[in-house]
Amino acid sequence: MSVRIKLHRSLAKIADGRAVLEVNGDTVGQCLEQLAARFPNLKKKLFEKNGALSRILEIYVNGESIYPDELATAVKDGDELDTVMRISGG
Amino acid sequence: MLSQEELERYSRQILINGFGEEGQARLKKAKVFIAGAGGLGSITATYLAAAGVRVIRVVDHDTVELSNLNRQILHRDEDIGKNKVDSAAKRLKDINPEVKIEAIAEKITEANISKLVADSDLIVDAMDNLPTRYLLNKTAIEKKIPFFHGAVNGFEGRAMTIIPGQTACLRCVYRGAVVEGSFPVVGVTPGVIGCIQATEVIKYIVGTGQLLGNRLLVYDGLNMKFTQFKVKRDPNCQHCGALKDKS
Repeated sequence: MSVRIKLHRSLAKIADGRAVLEVNGDTVGQCLEQLAARFPNLKKKLFEKNGALSRILEIYVNGESIYPDELATAVKDGDELDTVMRISGG
Repeated sequence: MLSQEELERYSRQILINGFGEEGQARLKKAKVFIAGAGGLGSITATYLAAAGVRVIRVVDHDTVELSNLNRQILHRDEDIGKNKVDSAAKRLKDINPEVKIEAIAEKITEANISKLVADSDLIVDAMDNLPTRYLLNKTAIEKKIPFFHGAVNGFEGRAMTIIPGQTACLRCVYRGAVVEGSFPVVGVTPGVIGCIQATEVIKYIVGTGQLLGNRLLVYDGLNMKFTQFKVKRDPNCQHCGALKDKS
Protein backbone atom coordinates (compact mmCIF):
# COMPACT_ATOMS: atom_id res chain seq x y z
CA MET A 1 0.00 0.00 0.00
CA SER A 2 1.49 3.32 -1.00
CA VAL A 3 0.77 5.98 1.57
CA ARG A 4 1.78 9.65 1.63
CA ILE A 5 3.10 10.97 4.91
CA LYS A 6 3.20 14.67 5.52
CA LEU A 7 5.90 15.43 8.05
CA HIS A 8 5.71 18.12 10.67
CA ARG A 9 8.51 20.66 10.26
CA SER A 10 10.45 19.23 13.20
CA LEU A 11 10.36 15.76 11.62
CA ALA A 12 11.06 16.92 8.08
CA LYS A 13 14.26 18.52 9.34
CA ILE A 14 15.51 15.06 10.29
CA ALA A 15 14.27 13.51 7.03
CA ASP A 16 16.61 15.51 4.78
CA GLY A 17 14.14 18.38 4.73
CA ARG A 18 11.47 16.37 2.95
CA ALA A 19 7.99 17.46 4.00
CA VAL A 20 6.17 14.71 2.11
CA LEU A 21 7.26 11.09 1.72
CA GLU A 22 5.78 7.96 0.19
CA VAL A 23 5.91 4.78 2.25
CA ASN A 24 4.37 1.34 2.10
CA GLY A 25 2.47 -0.45 4.84
CA ASP A 26 -0.83 -2.01 5.79
CA THR A 27 -1.07 -0.12 9.07
CA VAL A 28 -0.02 3.27 10.35
CA GLY A 29 2.52 1.50 12.55
CA GLN A 30 4.13 -0.22 9.57
CA CYS A 31 4.28 3.07 7.67
CA LEU A 32 6.01 4.81 10.58
CA GLU A 33 8.41 1.91 11.05
CA GLN A 34 9.39 2.15 7.41
CA LEU A 35 9.93 5.83 7.81
CA ALA A 36 12.16 5.19 10.84
CA ALA A 37 14.11 2.58 8.85
CA ARG A 38 14.85 5.15 6.16
CA PHE A 39 15.70 7.88 8.63
CA PRO A 40 16.96 6.21 11.84
CA ASN A 41 17.17 9.50 13.71
CA LEU A 42 13.41 9.83 13.34
CA LYS A 43 12.73 6.74 15.41
CA LYS A 44 12.89 8.41 18.81
CA LYS A 45 10.65 11.20 17.53
CA LEU A 46 8.03 8.73 16.32
CA PHE A 47 8.02 6.13 19.06
CA GLU A 48 8.39 5.84 22.80
CA LYS A 49 11.06 3.48 24.10
CA ASN A 50 8.45 0.75 24.55
CA GLY A 51 7.43 1.01 20.89
CA ALA A 52 4.22 2.95 21.51
CA LEU A 53 3.50 6.06 19.47
CA SER A 54 5.30 9.12 20.82
CA ARG A 55 3.15 10.88 23.40
CA ILE A 56 3.61 14.20 21.68
CA LEU A 57 2.84 13.01 18.16
CA GLU A 58 -0.62 13.01 16.64
CA ILE A 59 -1.48 11.09 13.49
CA TYR A 60 -4.42 11.86 11.25
CA VAL A 61 -5.45 9.68 8.32
CA ASN A 62 -7.14 11.53 5.49
CA GLY A 63 -7.78 14.42 7.87
CA GLU A 64 -9.39 12.32 10.61
CA SER A 65 -8.18 11.44 14.08
CA ILE A 66 -7.40 7.77 14.64
CA TYR A 67 -6.76 8.15 18.36
CA PRO A 68 -6.30 6.06 20.47
CA ASP A 69 -5.26 3.05 18.35
CA GLU A 70 -3.09 4.90 15.86
CA LEU A 71 -0.43 2.28 15.18
CA ALA A 72 -2.95 -0.52 14.56
CA THR A 73 -5.09 1.54 12.19
CA ALA A 74 -5.26 0.00 8.74
CA VAL A 75 -4.35 2.13 5.74
CA LYS A 76 -5.03 1.65 2.06
CA ASP A 77 -3.41 2.69 -1.17
CA GLY A 78 -3.57 6.45 -1.65
CA ASP A 79 -4.21 7.31 2.00
CA GLU A 80 -2.60 10.43 3.39
CA LEU A 81 -1.13 10.69 6.88
CA ASP A 82 -0.54 13.94 8.72
CA THR A 83 1.97 14.09 11.56
CA VAL A 84 1.27 16.87 14.01
CA MET A 85 3.21 17.67 17.17
CA ARG A 86 1.14 18.26 20.27
CA ILE A 87 1.74 21.64 21.86
CA SER A 88 0.81 23.04 25.23
CA GLY A 89 1.97 26.64 25.50
CA GLY A 90 -0.40 29.43 26.32
CA MET B 1 -32.45 45.45 28.09
CA LEU B 2 -29.61 47.51 26.68
CA SER B 3 -29.00 51.13 27.66
CA GLN B 4 -28.58 53.87 25.07
CA GLU B 5 -24.86 53.90 25.76
CA GLU B 6 -24.63 50.14 25.28
CA LEU B 7 -26.55 50.35 22.03
CA GLU B 8 -23.98 52.85 20.81
CA ARG B 9 -20.88 51.10 22.20
CA TYR B 10 -21.81 47.80 20.62
CA SER B 11 -23.60 49.20 17.57
CA ARG B 12 -21.18 47.70 15.01
CA GLN B 13 -21.56 44.15 16.30
CA ILE B 14 -25.29 44.53 16.84
CA LEU B 15 -25.46 45.25 13.10
CA ILE B 16 -24.17 41.74 12.31
CA ASN B 17 -26.82 39.45 10.92
CA GLY B 18 -27.60 36.85 13.59
CA PHE B 19 -26.17 38.99 16.39
CA GLY B 20 -28.51 41.93 17.00
CA GLU B 21 -29.63 43.40 20.30
CA GLU B 22 -30.66 39.95 21.45
CA GLY B 23 -27.13 38.64 21.05
CA GLN B 24 -25.75 41.66 22.86
CA ALA B 25 -28.21 41.12 25.70
CA ARG B 26 -26.92 37.56 26.01
CA LEU B 27 -23.36 38.81 26.26
CA LYS B 28 -24.50 41.22 28.94
CA LYS B 29 -25.68 38.28 31.04
CA ALA B 30 -22.68 36.02 30.43
CA LYS B 31 -20.11 35.00 33.01
CA VAL B 32 -16.86 33.74 31.54
CA PHE B 33 -14.05 31.92 33.34
CA ILE B 34 -10.59 32.45 31.84
CA ALA B 35 -7.88 30.14 33.13
CA GLY B 36 -4.67 32.10 32.71
CA ALA B 37 -3.71 35.74 32.19
CA GLY B 38 -0.77 35.05 29.87
CA GLY B 39 -0.58 35.06 26.08
CA LEU B 40 -3.92 33.46 25.29
CA GLY B 41 -5.61 34.94 28.36
CA SER B 42 -4.57 38.48 27.42
CA ILE B 43 -6.15 38.18 24.00
CA THR B 44 -9.34 36.34 24.92
CA ALA B 45 -10.01 38.61 27.90
CA THR B 46 -9.36 41.74 25.85
CA TYR B 47 -11.83 40.85 23.10
CA LEU B 48 -14.46 39.42 25.42
CA ALA B 49 -14.30 42.58 27.54
CA ALA B 50 -14.56 44.75 24.44
CA ALA B 51 -17.51 42.68 23.22
CA GLY B 52 -19.45 43.35 26.43
CA VAL B 53 -19.37 40.07 28.38
CA ARG B 54 -20.89 40.88 31.80
CA VAL B 55 -18.41 39.11 34.07
CA ILE B 56 -14.89 37.93 33.32
CA ARG B 57 -13.31 35.85 36.05
CA VAL B 58 -9.61 35.56 35.35
CA VAL B 59 -7.45 33.22 37.41
CA ASP B 60 -3.64 33.14 37.39
CA HIS B 61 -1.15 32.76 40.25
CA ASP B 62 1.87 34.11 38.34
CA THR B 63 3.52 37.50 38.56
CA VAL B 64 4.55 39.50 35.52
CA GLU B 65 8.07 38.95 34.19
CA LEU B 66 9.98 40.87 31.55
CA SER B 67 10.01 37.80 29.29
CA ASN B 68 6.18 37.80 29.27
CA LEU B 69 5.88 41.14 27.55
CA ASN B 70 6.45 39.99 23.95
CA ARG B 71 2.99 38.42 23.97
CA GLN B 72 1.03 39.05 27.16
CA ILE B 73 -0.38 42.32 26.02
CA LEU B 74 -2.39 43.12 29.14
CA HIS B 75 0.82 43.71 31.09
CA ARG B 76 3.39 46.53 30.98
CA ASP B 77 6.94 47.12 32.23
CA GLU B 78 5.51 48.88 35.28
CA ASP B 79 3.65 45.65 36.20
CA ILE B 80 6.77 43.49 36.49
CA GLY B 81 6.70 41.66 39.82
CA LYS B 82 2.98 42.26 40.34
CA ASN B 83 0.19 39.71 40.06
CA LYS B 84 -0.80 39.17 36.44
CA VAL B 85 -4.49 39.20 37.33
CA ASP B 86 -4.16 42.69 38.81
CA SER B 87 -2.62 44.25 35.73
CA ALA B 88 -5.07 42.29 33.59
CA ALA B 89 -8.02 43.64 35.59
CA LYS B 90 -6.71 47.20 35.33
CA ARG B 91 -6.30 47.08 31.52
CA LEU B 92 -9.58 45.30 30.97
CA LYS B 93 -11.42 47.96 32.94
CA ASP B 94 -9.72 50.56 30.76
CA ILE B 95 -11.01 48.76 27.67
CA ASN B 96 -14.55 48.46 28.98
CA PRO B 97 -15.52 49.93 32.36
CA GLU B 98 -18.92 48.25 32.16
CA VAL B 99 -17.45 44.76 32.45
CA LYS B 100 -17.03 43.25 35.90
CA ILE B 101 -13.57 41.74 36.28
CA GLU B 102 -13.04 39.15 38.98
CA ALA B 103 -9.28 38.78 39.39
CA ILE B 104 -8.17 35.75 41.37
CA ALA B 105 -4.46 35.18 42.07
CA GLU B 106 -4.61 31.48 42.82
CA LYS B 107 -3.09 28.38 41.32
CA ILE B 108 -5.71 26.16 39.74
CA THR B 109 -5.65 22.76 41.42
CA GLU B 110 -7.88 19.72 41.62
CA ALA B 111 -8.90 20.86 45.10
CA ASN B 112 -10.07 24.37 44.18
CA ILE B 113 -11.09 24.21 40.53
CA SER B 114 -14.76 23.52 41.02
CA LYS B 115 -15.06 26.41 43.48
CA LEU B 116 -13.07 28.72 41.19
CA VAL B 117 -15.21 28.00 38.14
CA ALA B 118 -18.31 28.18 40.35
CA ASP B 119 -21.34 29.26 38.31
CA SER B 120 -19.45 30.47 35.24
CA ASP B 121 -21.21 29.80 31.93
CA LEU B 122 -18.09 28.47 30.23
CA ILE B 123 -14.34 27.94 30.57
CA VAL B 124 -11.64 29.43 28.36
CA ASP B 125 -8.38 27.47 28.24
CA ALA B 126 -5.53 29.96 28.41
CA MET B 127 -3.17 27.70 30.30
CA ASP B 128 0.45 26.82 29.55
CA ASN B 129 0.42 23.14 30.53
CA LEU B 130 -1.57 20.03 29.75
CA PRO B 131 -2.24 18.73 33.29
CA THR B 132 -4.20 21.87 34.18
CA ARG B 133 -5.97 21.72 30.82
CA TYR B 134 -7.13 18.21 31.69
CA LEU B 135 -8.44 19.52 35.01
CA LEU B 136 -10.34 22.25 33.21
CA ASN B 137 -11.67 19.78 30.65
CA LYS B 138 -12.87 17.43 33.40
CA THR B 139 -14.50 20.26 35.32
CA ALA B 140 -16.28 21.50 32.20
CA ILE B 141 -17.61 17.98 31.58
CA GLU B 142 -18.77 17.64 35.21
CA LYS B 143 -20.49 21.01 35.14
CA LYS B 144 -21.76 20.43 31.60
CA ILE B 145 -20.45 23.79 30.43
CA PRO B 146 -18.45 24.45 27.23
CA PHE B 147 -14.67 24.45 27.22
CA PHE B 148 -12.74 26.49 24.66
CA HIS B 149 -9.33 24.94 24.12
CA GLY B 150 -6.33 26.76 22.71
CA ALA B 151 -2.56 26.12 22.73
CA VAL B 152 0.50 27.70 21.11
CA ASN B 153 4.15 27.03 20.43
CA GLY B 154 6.45 29.07 18.22
CA PHE B 155 4.47 30.02 15.13
CA GLU B 156 2.02 27.15 15.65
CA GLY B 157 -1.28 27.00 17.43
CA ARG B 158 -4.48 25.06 17.74
CA ALA B 159 -8.03 25.49 18.91
CA MET B 160 -11.04 23.29 19.56
CA THR B 161 -14.43 23.86 21.14
CA ILE B 162 -15.82 21.25 23.50
CA ILE B 163 -19.52 20.97 24.21
CA PRO B 164 -19.98 18.24 26.83
CA GLY B 165 -22.11 15.36 25.61
CA GLN B 166 -22.07 16.67 22.04
CA THR B 167 -18.48 16.86 20.89
CA ALA B 168 -15.12 15.25 21.52
CA CYS B 169 -13.41 16.53 24.65
CA LEU B 170 -9.69 17.05 25.17
CA ARG B 171 -9.30 13.56 26.62
CA CYS B 172 -11.01 12.03 23.60
CA VAL B 173 -8.12 13.20 21.43
CA TYR B 174 -5.08 13.73 23.68
CA ARG B 175 -3.02 11.25 25.65
CA GLY B 176 -0.68 11.86 28.57
CA ALA B 177 1.26 15.01 29.11
CA VAL B 178 4.06 16.65 27.22
CA VAL B 179 7.31 17.91 28.68
CA GLU B 180 6.53 21.33 30.10
CA GLY B 181 8.81 24.29 30.68
CA SER B 182 9.65 27.49 28.87
CA PHE B 183 8.22 27.18 25.40
CA PRO B 184 9.18 29.26 22.37
CA VAL B 185 6.52 31.65 21.12
CA VAL B 186 6.12 34.88 19.20
CA GLY B 187 3.32 37.16 20.38
CA VAL B 188 1.29 37.01 17.19
CA THR B 189 0.62 33.29 17.67
CA PRO B 190 -1.45 33.61 20.86
CA GLY B 191 -2.89 36.67 19.11
CA VAL B 192 -4.28 34.46 16.34
CA ILE B 193 -5.36 31.57 18.54
CA GLY B 194 -6.75 33.78 21.31
CA CYS B 195 -8.88 35.60 18.75
CA ILE B 196 -10.21 32.28 17.47
CA GLN B 197 -11.09 31.23 21.02
CA ALA B 198 -12.79 34.56 21.71
CA THR B 199 -14.70 34.25 18.44
CA GLU B 200 -15.95 30.83 19.48
CA VAL B 201 -17.00 32.13 22.91
CA ILE B 202 -18.91 35.03 21.39
CA LYS B 203 -20.61 32.74 18.85
CA TYR B 204 -21.61 30.33 21.61
CA ILE B 205 -23.06 33.04 23.85
CA VAL B 206 -24.82 34.87 21.04
CA GLY B 207 -26.03 31.60 19.52
CA THR B 208 -24.81 32.12 15.99
CA GLY B 209 -22.57 30.31 13.53
CA GLN B 210 -21.05 26.85 13.65
CA LEU B 211 -18.76 26.04 16.54
CA LEU B 212 -15.39 24.34 16.25
CA GLY B 213 -16.76 21.14 17.71
CA ASN B 214 -15.41 17.74 16.62
CA ARG B 215 -12.81 19.68 14.66
CA LEU B 216 -9.27 20.48 15.72
CA LEU B 217 -8.04 23.62 13.99
CA VAL B 218 -4.27 23.65 13.55
CA TYR B 219 -2.52 26.89 12.63
CA ASP B 220 0.88 26.98 10.97
CA GLY B 221 2.01 30.59 10.94
CA LEU B 222 5.27 29.92 9.11
CA ASN B 223 3.41 28.53 6.08
CA MET B 224 0.32 30.63 6.86
CA LYS B 225 -1.88 27.59 6.71
CA PHE B 226 -4.92 26.49 8.68
CA THR B 227 -5.76 22.78 8.70
CA GLN B 228 -8.85 21.19 10.20
CA PHE B 229 -8.80 17.63 11.48
CA LYS B 230 -11.94 15.70 12.27
CA VAL B 231 -12.03 14.33 15.80
CA LYS B 232 -14.71 12.25 17.46
CA ARG B 233 -15.92 11.29 20.91
CA ASP B 234 -14.21 8.32 22.47
CA PRO B 235 -16.88 6.12 24.09
CA ASN B 236 -14.23 5.00 26.59
CA CYS B 237 -13.04 8.52 27.37
CA GLN B 238 -11.96 8.93 31.00
CA HIS B 239 -13.67 12.31 31.19
CA CYS B 240 -16.75 12.29 29.00
CA GLY B 241 -17.30 8.62 28.14
CA ALA B 242 -20.14 8.33 30.64
CA LEU B 243 -22.06 11.31 29.21
CA LYS B 244 -24.90 10.41 26.91
CA ASP B 245 -24.49 11.57 23.32
CA LYS B 246 -26.61 14.67 22.81
CA SER B 247 -25.37 15.54 19.33
